[in-house]
Amino acid sequence: MNTILICDDDRDIVSALDIYLTSEGYQTIKAYNGKEALRAAETHEIHLILMDIMMPELDGIRATAKLREGSNVPIILLTAKSEDTDKILGLNIGADDYITKPFNPLEVIARVKSQLRRYTALGGAEKGPGLITAGPIAMDDGAKVVTVDGEPINLTPIEYNILKLLLSHPGQVFSSAQIYEQVWNDPAYGSENTVAVHIRHLREKIEINPAEPRYLKVVWGLGYKIEKGAAG
Amino acid sequence: MSKLQGNTIAKLCAWVVLLAAAFGTGIFGVRAVLSFGSVADDSWQGSSRYYNAVDNRRQELVTGIRLSHRLELLEKQIAEGTANSLAYADAEALREERAQVEERFSRQNTWFRFRVLTDNGQTLLGTNLNDDEAMTRAVQNVHYFSFALGDGDIYENVYYYDPETGEGYSDFPASTAGLNPGTEAESLKLVLEFGVPEKIDDSIQDEFSQIWRMWDMERAAFDQYLTGFLSLGALTLLALVWVLWTAGHRAGAEGTVTTWQERIFFDLYAAAMIAAVVCLAACFIWTAEQLYWGAANVYSIMNQDFNAFYKLGVMGAGAFFAAGVGCAALLLRTLAVRLKAGCLGKTTLLCRVVTWMVRTIHDFLRFLPFTWKLVLGFGAYVIFTFWLITVGRYDGVFMLMYFCLQLVLLLFLSWWAYGYYRLRQGTKTIAGGDLEYQIDTRHMPHDLRLQAEDLNNISVGLAGAVDEKMKSERFKAELITNVSHDLKTPLTSIINYVNLLKSTDQTDPKAVEYIEVLDRKSQRLKKLTEDLVDASKASTGVLSVVREKIGMSQLIDQALGEWEEKLNDRKLTLVTTLPEGETWVYADGRHLWRVIDNLLSNCAKYAMEGTRVYLDLGRGQGQVALSVKNISREPLNVPAERLMERFVRGEESRSTEGSGLGLSIARSLTELQGGSFDLAVDGDLFKAIVTLPQAN
Repeated sequence: MNTILICDDDRDIVSALDIYLTSEGYQTIKAYNGKEALRAAETHEIHLILMDIMMPELDGIRATAKLREGSNVPIILLTAKSEDTDKILGLNIGADDYITKPFNPLEVIARVKSQLRRYTALGGAEKGPGLITAGPIAMDDGAKVVTVDGEPINLTPIEYNILKLLLSHPGQVFSSAQIYEQVWNDPAYGSENTVAVHIRHLREKIEINPAEPRYLKVVWGLGYKIEKGAAG
Repeated sequence: MSKLQGNTIAKLCAWVVLLAAAFGTGIFGVRAVLSFGSVADDSWQGSSRYYNAVDNRRQELVTGIRLSHRLELLEKQIAEGTANSLAYADAEALREERAQVEERFSRQNTWFRFRVLTDNGQTLLGTNLNDDEAMTRAVQNVHYFSFALGDGDIYENVYYYDPETGEGYSDFPASTAGLNPGTEAESLKLVLEFGVPEKIDDSIQDEFSQIWRMWDMERAAFDQYLTGFLSLGALTLLALVWVLWTAGHRAGAEGTVTTWQERIFFDLYAAAMIAAVVCLAACFIWTAEQLYWGAANVYSIMNQDFNAFYKLGVMGAGAFFAAGVGCAALLLRTLAVRLKAGCLGKTTLLCRVVTWMVRTIHDFLRFLPFTWKLVLGFGAYVIFTFWLITVGRYDGVFMLMYFCLQLVLLLFLSWWAYGYYRLRQGTKTIAGGDLEYQIDTRHMPHDLRLQAEDLNNISVGLAGAVDEKMKSERFKAELITNVSHDLKTPLTSIINYVNLLKSTDQTDPKAVEYIEVLDRKSQRLKKLTEDLVDASKASTGVLSVVREKIGMSQLIDQALGEWEEKLNDRKLTLVTTLPEGETWVYADGRHLWRVIDNLLSNCAKYAMEGTRVYLDLGRGQGQVALSVKNISREPLNVPAERLMERFVRGEESRSTEGSGLGLSIARSLTELQGGSFDLAVDGDLFKAIVTLPQAN
C-alpha cells in the first residue's frame, strides 16, 4: 500500500485527486501549501508527492528543493504555468515529472503508477546481454519483449524493429527514409508516411500522453529519436 | 606646497619684501645712474656738471667785471664832478660788491683760474694766477670768452677763441645779432681766459672741489651701487614671482579666489596702473635729474643741508621706484589671478564689447532665413570680386587675393558638402532601422546642424515609442499568462469533478446527457485557454525562435503521419504534391509544426466531408511555399483577411469546436520565423499559403 502526498492550495483539486487516487487503492495525505507538505513528509512515510508550483507560504519549486535535500521520493509537479522554462526549472530542481493544468485525471493516475513502479522496482531488471534500455523503456532482444516501467507492451514486428533501431542509437535523429530503409530493407520511394503512422502508433503505446512524448520524440522536419538518457 | 600658496602671512611678507627690495633697488638704481657719468668720463672735467659750474663762474666773473667797469666810470665822474649827489653812496655800494667778488675769486677761495685781456691779447687787465704761472700750464682745459664793455651798455658775444690760430668763432649766433654796430667802436673789447686745474684737492672748498670729490667718490662706489641694484633687483623679481604664484589662492578655499580688484575691468585697471607707473617713472627721472644738477649748483653744494637734501632725494627716488614697482606688481597680480581663474576675457571691457558685437552679428545671421543668407552671401561675394577686379586689376597682389578668395570659397563649400554627406549618412542609417543612431553634429554648418538635431530628436522619440510598445506588448503577454493561470486552476477542478460525476451511477438519463455536455464544454474551455496563451505569446513575439535547416518534405510526411487517420475518419482524402528531393527551409521546427498542425486541424474541422484536401509544396526564387486547399463545409461569408483575426471563424454560429485562434496563431508563428502567411477564399475553396525562405 503506497502513500501519496497531495499538495495544492486549491482544496477542490486536492479532494478530486484524493478521490481518484483512493479509488485506485492508494493512501493519501493532504497538504495545502509547501510548509504543510514538508511537515507531512517528515511525519509520514511517503512514496510519492503530487505538488503544485504556485502556492502561498512556500511554493512548489522551493518545497521540492527542500525535500530533495534528504529524500529521493518521486515528485510530480502540477503546474498551471505552461512555460518551458518553468518545466525545465522544476525538473532541474529535482522533480521527476510534471503535469500541466488543466489535467486529465486518468493521465495523473497513469503517471503516478509509472513513477511508483520505477521507485519500488528497486533498481529494475538486471542488465543482460540482449537488454537495451532508455529511461523506463527496456527491450529484451532475446525474448523479444518490451517493457515500460516493468509493464509489458504489445508491439507489431515493424513497431518493434523501429523501436529497436531508435533504442540502439539513443539521441540520434533518423529521418523517415532512413528508418524505412533500415527496417523494411528496401529503398525509400516516397512511401515514408507509413513510417510516420507506425511511429504514431508506437508512441501511443509507450507514452502516457502521445501529444507530449517524453521518450520517443518527433524532431519536426528532421525525423525521430529516442531521448538520450531519457529521464522521468 | 598648496598650503604655502594660500598662506596669508607668507603673502604679506612677500609684499613687504617686494616693496622693500624695490625701494632699495630704486635707491641703488638712482645712485648707479647718477654715478654712471662719472665712470664713463675719464676726467672729472668731462661732466656737464663741471661745464655748468664753470659757466656759472664765468657769468659771475663777467658780472664782476661789468660792476668794476661801472665803478671806474662812476669814480671818474666823481673826480670830474659831473656825478649826481647820490654817486658816492652808489660807489660805496659798488665797492663793497666788488670786494665780495674779489673775495670769491681769490686764489685762497677757489680753484677757478682766469685772465682778462684786451681783445688783441696785449694788455692783461686782471687775473688770479701767480705772476710766473702760465694759463695753459695751470689749467689744461682753457676756455675763452670774448665780450665788450660799452658806455653803460654791455654787449656780449660768447664765442670760443682759439689762441693758436688767432681766429674766434661765434658759438651763439643769436648773441651777435644783438650787437649794435653803432656803438661797437666805442666799446671796450675784452677776452676772458678761464679754467680749473685738472688736479685739485680738498685744501680749498668750492664747487669744483665738490664736483671733483663727488666724481672721485662716485667712481669708487659705482660697482657697489651696481651690485646693490642687481642683487636687490633680483630679490624684487623673486618676491614678484612669489606674489604672482600665490595670487588667487586662499587658505581653506578651493580654486581661485577673486577679490574686488578682479571686478574692475582689466583694461581700465591696466590703463590706470600703467598711467600711475608712467607718472612715477617721470617722477623718478625728474628726481634723478634734480639730484644730478643739484650737485653742480654751487649754492646747494655749499649749503650745509645739501647732504641731507641729497639723501632725501635719493630716498624719494627709491620711493617712486618702489611705488612704480608696486603698481606694476598689482597689475601683474590681477592679471595672474584672472588667468588662473580663466576670466581674463570676461573681465576685459574691450573683449566684452567685441564678444557682444560678434554675438549680435552671429545671432542676426542665425535669425536670418536661409534663402536670405544665401542671397546676402552671394551678393557679398560678387561685390568683393568686383572690387578686387576694379581696384587691383594691374596689381600682382590681385591675382593672389583672387586665388585666396576662391580657395576660401572652396573650403567653405567643402565644409557644407561634408556636413551634408554626414547628414545623409545618418538619415540613411536611421531609416535603415537603427533608431539609436545619433548624427554627430560637431563642426556642422548651422543650418545643417538644425536639421541633424531635429532628426536626432525624431529618432530618440521613435526609439522611445518603439520601446514603449515593446513594453506594453510584454505586459500584455504577462497579463494573459497570469489570467490563463487563474482560469486553468478552476478549470482543472471542473474537468476533474465532471470526470468523477461520469463515474458515478446516474439513474436519470437526462443527467447523463447533461454531464456529457459539461464534459464537452469543459474540454473546449481547456483548448480555448491553451490557444489563448499561445496566440498572445506568438503575436507579442515573446516566444524564442531557434531557426535551423528543416526538411519540408519530411515535415509534411510527419504531419500526415499524425493527421491522415483523423482526416480519413472524416472522409477526407489527402492529396500531396511534393517536388523531387528534399526541400530545405530555415525555420523553427516546433513552430512550423504548429502552423501545419493548425492548418490540418482546420481542415478536419471545417472541410466538407467526402472532398479532397490538397497539400502542395513548391519552391522558386529562394522561397518555399506550402499551400493547403480544401472545400469548406459552410459557405465562407467572411473575407480572407478577417479570417486571420483572432476569434473569427468561417461560420458565424460558433457552434463547432475550435477557438478561432488557429489561423491567427499560424500567421504569427510564420511571421516570427521570417515567413509570410496568406489566405485566399474563392467561393467555397479555402486556401492557405505559408511562404518561407529557402535554405541551400
